[in-house]
Amino acid sequence: MQLKNPSNIAKALALASCALVGQSAQVQASEEKLDDWKVDAAIMYYGEEDRVQAVEAIGNVQKAFGDESLLDMKLVVDSLTGASASGAVAQAETQTFTRPSGDGQYQTAPGETPLDDTFHDTRVQASANWAETLSPVWKTNVGVNGSKEFDYFSMGLNAGIERSFNKDNTTLVLSGAYTFDTIDPVGGKPVAFSAMAVRGDYNTEEEYRTAFDLTRVEGTEDKKTMDMMLSITQVLSRRWVFQANYGLSSISGYMTDPYKILSQVDDTGTSQGYLYENRPDSRLKHSFYMMTKGALDAGVVDFSYRYSTDDWDLNSHTLETHYRYYFSGRFYGQVHLRYYQQQAANFYRPFLMADEPLPEYASADYRIGDMSSYTLGLKFGQRLSGGHEMSYRLEYYQQNPENNGTELVGQLQDQDLFPAVKAIMAQVSYSF
Amino acid sequence: MSIQHQRASSNFQLSRRSWGHVGSFRAMASPCELLIANEDENITRAMMELATCEAARIEQKFSRFIKDNPLWKINHAAGKASPIDAETASLLQFARQCYQLSEGRFDISAGPLMALWRFDGSQFPKASDIERARALVDFSKVSFNEHQLQFPAGMSLDFGGIAKEYAVDRVAYLLAEQWPAISVLVNFGGDIACPVSKAADAPPWQVGIENPQRLDSAAALLEIRQGALATSGDTRRFIEKNGQRFGHIIDPRTGYPIVKAPRSVTVLAPNCVMAGMLATMAMLEGAQAEAFLSEQEVEFKCFR
Repeated sequence: MQLKNPSNIAKALALASCALVGQSAQVQASEEKLDDWKVDAAIMYYGEEDRVQAVEAIGNVQKAFGDESLLDMKLVVDSLTGASASGAVAQAETQTFTRPSGDGQYQTAPGETPLDDTFHDTRVQASANWAETLSPVWKTNVGVNGSKEFDYFSMGLNAGIERSFNKDNTTLVLSGAYTFDTIDPVGGKPVAFSAMAVRGDYNTEEEYRTAFDLTRVEGTEDKKTMDMMLSITQVLSRRWVFQANYGLSSISGYMTDPYKILSQVDDTGTSQGYLYENRPDSRLKHSFYMMTKGALDAGVVDFSYRYSTDDWDLNSHTLETHYRYYFSGRFYGQVHLRYYQQQAANFYRPFLMADEPLPEYASADYRIGDMSSYTLGLKFGQRLSGGHEMSYRLEYYQQNPENNGTELVGQLQDQDLFPAVKAIMAQVSYSF
Repeated sequence: MSIQHQRASSNFQLSRRSWGHVGSFRAMASPCELLIANEDENITRAMMELATCEAARIEQKFSRFIKDNPLWKINHAAGKASPIDAETASLLQFARQCYQLSEGRFDISAGPLMALWRFDGSQFPKASDIERARALVDFSKVSFNEHQLQFPAGMSLDFGGIAKEYAVDRVAYLLAEQWPAISVLVNFGGDIACPVSKAADAPPWQVGIENPQRLDSAAALLEIRQGALATSGDTRRFIEKNGQRFGHIIDPRTGYPIVKAPRSVTVLAPNCVMAGMLATMAMLEGAQAEAFLSEQEVEFKCFR
């Protein structure tokens, strides 16, 4: 039998058979080649029991330019509503508070944790990142990000460089970021430790206004953050990798929460008034992180631990694990467990005693108090035809604030000053 | 159809070995075997389920011996167009490329000729029957696109020369997609694929190649870590006449079996359909089989 170009037959058959056998893989691969866009869209709901509710829409677009360059753009829009703890303690009596704007009041029933229910905002966050492979061993990336909410504006720059060694089995990454935030509190910035003016204490609206205005300073405040991170990733075996990070963060500027207050109580535990909080204007944080991740026969598992400490003496430990199991090549389930424990900042005070001198700094924000929290999550992902993927995530999150050792006086012993905060998070994502 | 599917899917044997598991079942008139380098019985059972289901699915769809299956309907369309799915279209596309590459010697419309050559070792068809059958064999008269297929009444298609290799590759591909870290050797009656490379520190799979003179005893041992191999030969099906041995590879252009073809040709290639087609084409080369394969720069083994 005479064949034309017989040596080409094997090559022609190789191509033809790949087209036949690797059908779906081939189709996906070629789609990705033709169309280097990768788009993820997600919608997330976060709801705390009786408190903050948030709905977040996330859009992420990645575009590859050849094998060397990747542009990643992300847009997040979220809408928050609901109430958050103001910092004041629960009392046996009804309490009346002035809203942050100075316009109007809200009341808290006896035995209830005071929540500021005026909290609603829409936040838009956008970021763009460019990653470039410079050589087989060097990679770099630069990015910008910004976010805007009603009383807050943030802009940042970041850059990183990555070097791989040892046939890509070891990777070192050094990265840095600079963020500049501007804060323009609703109703003006409160004067540190000034007492909340309450309408009922004044005869006329004008007198009240004058008193309220004395608790406020005009203008905006800013905050600057410098972050540095050194990371090493090591391939341990065909199935396991290990990563360790050290992060250093230096923040200066306005870190007080303009909407948080502290109750000033007498020795019966009864509120005499409310003071606007005051936090230091510098903070230096160190964090250490270790993670190992392994490929199992039909799944993936990771474990991580993070230790974070700062010069506010706020130390925290985080233990986290994810276990993903592939029920089939197209369907997986994932379990997420996270445990977090923190030790209060040195200026955290659940309340202040009226007859004691004021400390230099104080905040009753439970988020910087002693606390532990845990997260239980489940996620299911499904690969659809054409390389699309759909995933569903449901998580339960509980924060358990604890007393940092403060002696509770009088009626405060009868109140739940450290109520647990329970939240549900649900997310649906689609990648195409 | 579903009853047969289910019966086939659960009908396998699994046994334990020091290095993993061996699973076996029958499909496509061949003994089928999976060597699985994994000790977890739940995983290997799931792999066997997948393999038996996929083999049964392909057999059910493309066997010309099953009444009312998709191929039967195509072959009984009496000249009318038949709707086809994407998988059938891509198999036809592959068959067309093979038809062109072999200059008409590999032809899946050769069914009427094959039917005359019943390789039971006795009958030799009449020349007039062969001529009549040849008139019904011509793949160039088969027209198809992604959605439909049409050919003149009286003609028929037979995927027998591709389907088993295709099943091996599909099973190998599906297993590798789902269990990318588990090395498996998929062996359907001597057509073999090993999609996931064996670990560097584990010994390669060993595959015995039958000696056509002494059936069922391995004559050569091939080592394989990843890839595929397929064998084409007349080891089991032939007619002998006047001392001449006629194998089951028919040249559709003459209507007669290829003469001076090797008894068997085994080819190693990245996937099983490619290996199988190279082996078949080498057989079609008759006396030049070895020269043809040498030019293809593939590893092979010929028995004469």
